[in-house]
Amino acid sequence: MQDYNKTKKQLINELFDLRQNVSELSISELNHKIVEADLKKERNFSSAFFDIVGALVMVLDSKGKIIQFNRTCQTITGYSIEEVRDKYFWDFFTVPEEVDKVKTAFKELQTGRYPNEYENYWRIKDGSLRLISWSNTEILKSDGTIEYVISSGIDITGRKETEEALKKKIQELARSNTELEQFAYVASHDLQEPLRMVTSFVQLLARRYKGHLDDDADEFIAYAVDGANRMKELINDLLTYSRVSSKGKEFKETNCASVINHVLNNLRLLIKEDDVIITCDELPTVIADSSQLVQIFQNLINNAIKFRSSKQTQIHIGAQDGGKERLFYVKDNGIGIEPEYFERIFSIFQRLHDKDNYPGTGIGLAICKKIVERHGGHIWLESEPGNGSTFYFTIPTGGNG
Amino acid sequence: MDREKYGTPIEVLLVEDNPGDVRLTKEALKEGKMQINLSVVVDGLDAMAFLRKEGKYKEVPTPDLILLDLNLPKKDGREVLADIKKDNNLKLIPVVVLTTSDAEQDIMKTYELHVNCYITKPVDYEQFITVVKSIEDFWLTIVRLPRGVWNG
Repeated sequence: MQDYNKTKKQLINELFDLRQNVSELSISELNHKIVEADLKKERNFSSAFFDIVGALVMVLDSKGKIIQFNRTCQTITGYSIEEVRDKYFWDFFTVPEEVDKVKTAFKELQTGRYPNEYENYWRIKDGSLRLISWSNTEILKSDGTIEYVISSGIDITGRKETEEALKKKIQELARSNTELEQFAYVASHDLQEPLRMVTSFVQLLARRYKGHLDDDADEFIAYAVDGANRMKELINDLLTYSRVSSKGKEFKETNCASVINHVLNNLRLLIKEDDVIITCDELPTVIADSSQLVQIFQNLINNAIKFRSSKQTQIHIGAQDGGKERLFYVKDNGIGIEPEYFERIFSIFQRLHDKDNYPGTGIGLAICKKIVERHGGHIWLESEPGNGSTFYFTIPTGGNG
Repeated sequence: MDREKYGTPIEVLLVEDNPGDVRLTKEALKEGKMQINLSVVVDGLDAMAFLRKEGKYKEVPTPDLILLDLNLPKKDGREVLADIKKDNNLKLIPVVVLTTSDAEQDIMKTYELHVNCYITKPVDYEQFITVVKSIEDFWLTIVRLPRGVWNG
């Protein structure tokens, strides 16, 4: 036999090759097994993952037919994967009036014009509608055309309902607020007319008959005049207060230095009479309703003069750049305020002092607060009885907060 | 112009629907120094009838001055003003709008209708007297008006 003719060396070589082949074979087989196991694991993992996510996940082929439909999809829609597999998704879920639009949009998938994120209504098995927020990812073939589309969606029906309800509440609140403002305005405006009658005729009575009747009559008339005058003050102040929002002007670039000049001019008699020293920082320009800024500064400076101590009144008007907002302050060396009243003084018609020494209705700071808030800022104070007060307020740099 | 001297009363037409205001105006004019004959109508239609001497107003004098409220029944003060200023026989009569409204748009609109002056009624009686006296001083004493106005 020829085999017997082989040399020992040849035999060894053949044996070596054979062994090499066997070992290579087993390695590739082994590799194959490992790859298969990995794939299975991966698939199990994906499928578990696919089912466990709370989102709706659906895999479509490039034509729009459903290939995969996860558990959330099935729970939310009421359809099983068997019912929808290999069917066009729009035949099940798209609302009739949108089917054509969706089909056309899906055809444009290949051109990359299919939107990646959108919200739409899905009609589910029981006929009701759910609002779903979708995001899409395309899986491309090696030639760059689309093989699959993975659509992942979140059911936002409830969120949308909450948002709508919230929006409605906000609108209602705004409306009732506006109504209240209008009510205050109309009430204070329309009260002026009968008030004018009362005030005028009581004054006329006093003018004509004071001293012609008896002492009682004079006293009664005096009380009536005083009451009418106070009512006039209150109604006027209420009107001013309600005008902050109802008659507020639009915000414009406003030079605060000229605002202060305006205020000091308005208060010049008072300032001269009381020998008040007023100093002022360099003031910025802000976006605001200039006449309302005049109101704020005038109220604050007026208060600083009104609530003076026995010392000579010194008032400093300051400003600081706070980035997003401008900080202003009016500092005085007056009688100061107890901390427990810091909140209360900003409420409408709240007064801390007697009317004889400190006249006024107690509306000034309430007006200041309303104006500052209309501009999106804040107002507060630092004070110590006997050591003066500093009123601070902010105006946002952008105009509105 | 020297009516004060001759003692001929000055004719003033007050167009006002609020009896309180009518009375106040009368009282305020009483405190003034001029002899004024005040006629009163309470709505816009009567105002025009008075000025055009129609119906029951055939015998009335032509006013030297009109005090006009804006908010009136039937025909409001703005319409009355527009009609007066369109009428060649009436447009020379000075019209003073005396109203409670201090609304910017009312003031603007009224001047656009060629009012001679716009005054907001003061709440205070003392101030009201001052206003009425000022009207008297200015329109009936200081200002010179064309003769035709006085001859109607």
